[in-house]
Parts: sequence; structure tokens; C-alpha cells
Amino acid sequence: MMWFNKSSLISVEAQRKRSFLLGLLPALVVLAAITIAPAVYLFMTSLTPLDLTRQEETAGDYSRPWTNYVELGSDQRFHNSVWVQVKLSIFTVLLQLVVGLGVALLLNAPSRFLEAVRTVFLIPMVLPPIVVSIIWKVIYIPDVSPIHRLLEVFGFPIESLITNPKLALWAIAVADTWEWFPFTMLILLAALQMIPDEPLEAARIDGAGSWQLFQHIILPLIRPTIVVAALFRLIDSIKAFPLIYVLTNGGPGMVTEVTNYYAFIEAFNFSYWGYAGAISVLMVAGVFFFSWLINRMAGRSALQET
Amino acid sequence: MSMVNSVDIFSVRARTPVRRRRRQRIWLYIAAGALLLVVMFPFFWMLQMSFRSMDDIFGFSLIFKPTLENYGALRTGDFPKSFWNSVAASVTSTLLSLVIGVPAAYSLSRARFHMQNRIALWILATRMAPPIAFTIPFYLAYRQLNLQDTITGLVIIYLTFNLALVIWMMQTYFDAIPQTLEEAAWVDGCSVWGTFLRITLPLTAPGLAATAVLCFIYSWNDFFFALILTRTKAQTAPVAIVNFMQYEGWEWGKIAAGGTLVMLPVIIFSFLVRHYLVRGLIAGSLKE
Amino acid sequence: MSKKPKNQSKSKFTRRQVLKLGAGALAATAATPFGVPTLLGQAKPYAGTEINVSCWSGPYPKMLASYIPEFTEMTGIKVNYETPSFPIYNQRMDLELSTKGSGYDVANITFIYCARWIGAGWFTPLKPYFSDPNKTPSDWEPEDFLEGVVTPHRDTKGTLYGFPWIADAMISASARFDILKKAGFGMPDTFEEMETVLKAVHKKEGVAGFVNENHHGWTWIPYLYGFGGKVFRDPPNDLMPMMDSPEAIEAAEYYGRILREYGPSGVLSFMYDQANQFLKRGRANLITFNHAWLLQLGDPETSKVTKTVNYAMMPAGPAGRFPGVASHAWGIPLASKKKDAAWEFIKWSLSKEILKRLLIEKGYGSITRKSVINTPEFKEKNLVNGVDLAELYLKTIDVAASGYMVYRTIHVYPQIDKQVDKAIEIVTSKQMTAKEAMKQAQENSVRELKRAGVKL
Repeated sequence: MMWFNKSSLISVEAQRKRSFLLGLLPALVVLAAITIAPAVYLFMTSLTPLDLTRQEETAGDYSRPWTNYVELGSDQRFHNSVWVQVKLSIFTVLLQLVVGLGVALLLNAPSRFLEAVRTVFLIPMVLPPIVVSIIWKVIYIPDVSPIHRLLEVFGFPIESLITNPKLALWAIAVADTWEWFPFTMLILLAALQMIPDEPLEAARIDGAGSWQLFQHIILPLIRPTIVVAALFRLIDSIKAFPLIYVLTNGGPGMVTEVTNYYAFIEAFNFSYWGYAGAISVLMVAGVFFFSWLINRMAGRSALQET
Repeated sequence: MSMVNSVDIFSVRARTPVRRRRRQRIWLYIAAGALLLVVMFPFFWMLQMSFRSMDDIFGFSLIFKPTLENYGALRTGDFPKSFWNSVAASVTSTLLSLVIGVPAAYSLSRARFHMQNRIALWILATRMAPPIAFTIPFYLAYRQLNLQDTITGLVIIYLTFNLALVIWMMQTYFDAIPQTLEEAAWVDGCSVWGTFLRITLPLTAPGLAATAVLCFIYSWNDFFFALILTRTKAQTAPVAIVNFMQYEGWEWGKIAAGGTLVMLPVIIFSFLVRHYLVRGLIAGSLKE
Repeated sequence: MSKKPKNQSKSKFTRRQVLKLGAGALAATAATPFGVPTLLGQAKPYAGTEINVSCWSGPYPKMLASYIPEFTEMTGIKVNYETPSFPIYNQRMDLELSTKGSGYDVANITFIYCARWIGAGWFTPLKPYFSDPNKTPSDWEPEDFLEGVVTPHRDTKGTLYGFPWIADAMISASARFDILKKAGFGMPDTFEEMETVLKAVHKKEGVAGFVNENHHGWTWIPYLYGFGGKVFRDPPNDLMPMMDSPEAIEAAEYYGRILREYGPSGVLSFMYDQANQFLKRGRANLITFNHAWLLQLGDPETSKVTKTVNYAMMPAGPAGRFPGVASHAWGIPLASKKKDAAWEFIKWSLSKEILKRLLIEKGYGSITRKSVINTPEFKEKNLVNGVDLAELYLKTIDVAASGYMVYRTIHVYPQIDKQVDKAIEIVTSKQMTAKEAMKQAQENSVRELKRAGVKL
């Protein structure tokens, strides 16, 4: 295609830009169709009392648009679910950072063997989450769990964790950490390997011990990466679903019922689509606001440092 | 931070922060090996369950006669079909995302649009939304559009995460290729997209492969969307496994065998693209 | 009646179909007529049809599975049969029905959902099928089913949407009655007696005193009524829930206590199959649960407690005896595209012959047809360790006929059911007192009912 001799008025630059636009356009159109349109639809649904058992009367009933939101304001179960979500997110992010960092530090050496170990540790992260949930279901049912059995044999029998209201959320956090620690491990390993040798060698010659090396040299250098990893895990922690679905169903009671799960129950157990829509809208708004906040406080400075 | 993207922790050339002595090395290996066994124990447990006979499926003795009867039991019933549904949905979704996303990534990389940042933000926002925010409108819309329980329906909703992934990852790969090559071709009279196909794209082949594999993995692993949007015809393998969820031994044999089969493709593919995983995981989050 | 396939001029048979026809004819001569003489003597009109059948994993659906190949032989209909667990089945079926999807041709109408699903018009009226002599011969006798068990599957006008495959009658059982005897007790008849017995036998010989499935919305309601409480104030007109009445609180406290003090570790995560396994292995003793499951404790092939099991009526509370009775039925979703083939399946699977075979060959005791109940085999198969379960079964159904089961024919009961599940979980795990938990259940129930458009 020889554009430039067609018209001297249209510069080559502009023509090229038009080509690029053409390449970008399909993606933008598709993205708009699959994100903006559903977002609008979701919001509109949340303004109705849509219930599929009474579809004719409830679809398109905008007579009292804010009812769902008002009700959420006084819905204890909803407030509880937000609190559970906050707890779960904090537990899992912290655990995954700690475990990921620990493993990364341990495996950070050139060696074929360690490389193999690192590769095997990828597995939990790439397993289909439903398979992870099944694995942990067997681990958490006392009757059939090899871990419970082992503890029993050594004289430390423990009661079921997932039906203990104080421990159920921790049990889920542990399974979630098992699943995702490879993520933080990978990222932190990459950051660790970026650390230049010289300052560490110099400090060692000066007599610094391993812990001091870690505290004063390694940690500050990888701090930005830690923040990024934490942010990513935080955002993904909102999506926790298969573990709860398979292990506890939100129970015992509501102790493991996160907001995502509560919305799922409302929509898919009883067809309260309007109400579940309102919960989802609030979730999305909350997530956006929260990440904007974090980005402002920590992220931006971390970005600037890198 | 963009340098972290390109670090390959699976290359043995990785450097140590501290020189370790030989004796310490042995302890390091022992510790790593022990950690491996402890951490991967749950995984190996399920694996061995899939080879146990049905009436001893929950047995604790590690000495047993391995059998393939659980895998055999999967052959009748829905599981093979659901496995193929997974393949169809994942492959189609990957291809579609690549076809739409790669040109877009290239355009974003080369042209300086003023809405660049806003697009990046939009994509980031998409990634942050919880799946239920998508499922509700999609579910209701699919009722009208007759896309309930179809592979097409799944492929479309998988675009919500795959398209973003493709654009992000490929953009960083394209950014890494100097524009001088293309500019030379343009001066010679080649069109933008001709140059792209003949010069740029081949240079990013490994990155393209890695992106494709990651798309496949995310689609394959999906549970939530398939649970809600499929019923019988388009049911995927992860959902089929959940249908087996009972307490009795014979069902757990199928669950263990099914779980093993479902995880095999992703493990193999991840192994193949492990050098690109860091980039894939945090791609696009940090733009200069 | 000899059955030879007639020559069909219009159809082109593949060799496989011819072989199938032959085999089908042979099978048909071996069995007594299934009430499908219209099919015999003709080429299978449904050859090549495929139907999707789904039910939760109850005893009947699981036992039926092994007979399905015969059905396919006979009619040519291929059956894609699935039996997921109870909560998964209900959720997915509710979702499917709400989309008026045609994914399933035969589906179970779960007892607590029957009013919801039938009331929303999601199933097909069956009269055109069972009253049409071309589709159903008269000896299939639709009136042969126990009326009390059929009624929930009619709508308010009396149109019938499903035929029941089970009358789930609640009785009590002791898997290790020998332990009770040693402690000097018989089968408890009241709630008070039961707690006394449990205190005495819990953990004796390593056996937990009590166990039950975690679907408390089913298992706890008889205790609610036994203490004098109710689910709704005056159904079907006044649907105000009564979850926080003093009687409800007492019932919740009692039941939570016995689960907590006398149940095995993790009992809150036990579904029906796990509870059943526990009993069969003799790991737990007392239970108040459905006859269809408890009968299996007498099955020598799967149960270790056949010699020590004993049964009795569901214990009574201060306000009386209110054993739960439910019925699940086969129905045809409204949008199914293969209703005729679907009806063939229902006809076959609920025929007198199949029910009789299930009773005799598989030990399925919760029969819904009077003609099969009134056979000596019914009594015989329901005799375990000298206890006449047939009598218990029929007496329980009789008691329930007095009308307190109407709560589960209310279309919004599923919402209350889930609230009860949560409340009992909370009480058992001591997260709140019974009073607080039931108050919360009441508040949430009222909210849910309002959300469902019920005027309170």
C-alpha cells in the first residue's frame, strides 16, 4: 500500500496513526461491550427488585430504585461479610508475603537443584483453584485427612478446623496461602536477584551478620517489590471463591462468608438478582476506591523509587 | 521495576547476594528438599489417591496396589465431554484474545495516543472487578441472547480477563523491540501492518507463545463463570468434578482422578513458559 | 406376550439398531410388561433420542442408576444421568429452571422447592401424559401413589406436576443399640429421654452418641414443633416467620446442645452421605433421620451394624410428636424439548415393576405406591433385626397427614430453610446464644420474605 503518493495533504504520520487506530479499535469496541455495557446493566439491575420467580413484576420496576442500597445499609449479614473479607484479605496477604519471602530467601542461590525446587513450587499457583479446594477438603476432614491422622498418631489429635468458628477463616487462609505463595515467591526472587553484590560483600567484610544484611540492605531494596506483590494479592483476594464453596459454604454460621460469597448466595440460591446486583456494585466501588487509596499512599512512592 | 519483569529466576545464572560455603550448601539443600516435601505433600496426597482402589481411597497406608480404575470410571458419564469443552473454550478464547489484543498492543506501543493512560487504567479496573460483577449482567443478558450453556458464551466472558492480559503482556514485548527496524521498513514503503507481520511479530514469538499459554491457563482454570453460565452442554471439567462431590469412596476416586487430569495441561504448559512467568504475573502494572 | 419387532418400512435400520431391537425384544420377554405395551411390537420410536436426567444423590436415584441400561435397551432412549449432592443439585436446578432452559428433560422436584418451582410455572403439567391411554396404559395406575405424598406436587388448582419417588419419613435409629441396652436404656421416646440416654452412652466404646446431617432446615423442624414452635404463624395466609418465639429458642438450644456435646468432631460439616457412613461403620449411635437411609443400616453388604441396629418412632417433645415427612418427585421442566421421551423415563422408573425390584433387589424401602406397599415383600424387606420398619414408615406418614408439614409447601420456605441452617450452626458452634441466633434468623427471614414480595 503506497499512501504517500496518493495525497500530499495527508501526512504520512497521520496515515500511520490511522492504521494504528484501526488496530486498536476492535479491542476498544470489544472491551466496551464486555465491560462498560455489563457495568451499566449491573447498575440498572441493582435499582430493581429483580427476582426471577416473579420476573414480570420485578424486571424493570424502577419505582423504588434505592431500596436495595438502603436495605444493605442495615443488613447485618452484609456488614459481617465485609468484615470477614477484610480479615481474610489481611491474613492472606501477610501470610503470603512472609512465606513467599522466606522461601525466596532460602532458594536464592545458583544451583540446578534449587532451580528444580523453584519449578516444582510453581505447581500450587497454576493448579485449577477447584483442584486446590479438593486437595484441601481431604486435608481438612478429620476422618480422612492424613494430617489429622498423623497428629493423632503422634498424640496431638485436633478437632475439625473448618467447623470451628474461631479457626475456620484461618484454615481457609492457610489453604489460600499454599495456593498463592509461589506468586510472591517468584516476584520476590526476581527482586532479590536484582540486588547488586557489592554493597552486600562490603557489609560482610565489615562484619555484618545475615540478619543485619537482610534488615539494612536487602529489605529496603526489595520494599517496592513487596508493595507491588501485596497490592496484587490484595486485589485478587477479593475473588476468593472455590475454597469457600468447597470447604465451608460460608460457615460455620457466617464466619467465612465473604462479600463475594454473600452476593453469590443471594443471586444463585434465591434469584435475588436486584439485591445481589447492589452488593456487587458496592463491592466494585469499594475495590476501586480502596486501590486508588493505596496507590496514592504507597504505590506511587514505590513506583517512583524503581 | 520494569527490569524485574525481565528477570528470569529459572535461569541458573541467577546471582547470589551472599557467597555461601560448601558445607552450608548441603544444609541449604536439605532444608530446601524438606520444605519441598512438606509443602507439596497435599498435592502428592491427592495424586496418590487417584491411583488407589475405590474401597481404599482414604486409606493411610502408603503401601497399596495402584490401579487405574478411577480413571476408567471417568470414561463413562459426562467427564470426557466436559474435558473437551474445557479444551474448546480455552483454545478458542486464547485465539480470539490474541487476534483482537495483539494488534491493539502493538498500536499502543508504537503510537502515542493521548488516551493511553486512561486505557491502561480502564484495563486495570477490569482486572480488579470481582467476577460476580460480571456474572450477573452476563447471565441475564445470555438468557435473552440464547447464549446460556454455550461455549461461545464462555469464550466471550473469558475475554474480560484474557484481552487485558494480552494487551498488557504484548505491549511490554513490543516496547522492548527498537522502533528503528520498523522505521527502516516504513521508509522503504512497507505498510504498518505488513511490517508488523513480517518483522516485529516474529521477533516477539517467544513472548507471544508465553502470552498464549497464560491465556490458556487462566481460561482453563476458571470455575466461577463456568459454574454459573453452563449447565449440561457446555459444562467444563472443573465444574464436572464438583458434581462428583459426595462422601462415599467411589466418588472420591473420580474426583481425585478427574482433578489430576484437569491439572495436567496447566502444569505442563506452566513448566514450558516458566521463564516468562514473572512478566506475565505482574505485566502492565508499572508503566514509566 | 411374545414380542417380535415388526418390520418397519419407513426407517432405515443400521445393523446396530437391529441388534438393539433384538436384544430389547429378548429383554422384554424376560421382564413383565412395564406398562409400555405401546412400545413393544414396534421399532423403538425414540431410538437415537437422548435425555438429560438429574436428581440429587438420594438412595432411589443412586439405586436406579444400575437399571438405566435396561431402559435404554427397551426404548432406545439414551439417558445422561447425573446425581450431584443435595445442595449443589438444588442450586443448579434452581438456576437452570429460572432461565427456562431446556438443559434437562427429567428433573427432581425437591420437596422444599416444590412450591417455589411449581408456583413459578417452571414444570410441565403431567395430566396430558398420564391420562392419555396412548402414552400411558391404565394399569400404570396414577392413583396408586400415596396421596399425602403426591399433594405437594400439585399447584393450588390441583394440577399435578410430579410423581413422587420417595416418602421421606423421619424415624429414629440407634446403630449400636447394644450400648444402650448395656447402659440400661431402651429406645428413647421423648426429647428428654433422648438427652438422658445420650449422656449415658456418649463415647462408650469410642462411639459418638449422636450424629445428623447438616441440613438443619430439615432435621431440626420436628424439634421446633415438638417444643411447641412453628415455622410460619398461619400458613398459607399469614407467613410471618416464628423463628424467635420462646419455643423456637428452646428447640434451638436443645438441638444445638446435643449436636455439640454428643456429636463427632466436625459434625457441622457432615452431609447425609457422611452421616450415613458414620452410622454404618458404627462410629455414631443415635440419629433422627429419613427411613430410606436408615433402612440401609440393615444392609449386610455395606453396613457393619446390622446386628446391633434398632429403630423407633421419632421422639416426641412436650408439644407432641412431629416427624418430618417429605416427598421428592420426578417432573419435566417446562422448556424440555423431549417431553415424550422424558415421560417414558418417568413412567418406567416409577412403574410397579421397577419399584418392586428396587425394594427386593436393592433394599429400597420408602415406596410410594400402595400396591407395592401392600405386598409381603415390603414387610419383609422392611424387617431389620426384628424391627418392623414398614409399620414405623406408615405410622409416620399417617401422623404427618395431620397437616403440620404444610410449612414446606410454602414457596418461600427455602429462604427460611437456609436461615435455619445458619442459626443452628451458630448455636451449635457457640458463636451466639440460642436467643441471639434465632433473633437474627427471624430478622433475616423477614427481610428475605419481603425481598421475595411476601406481604407480612
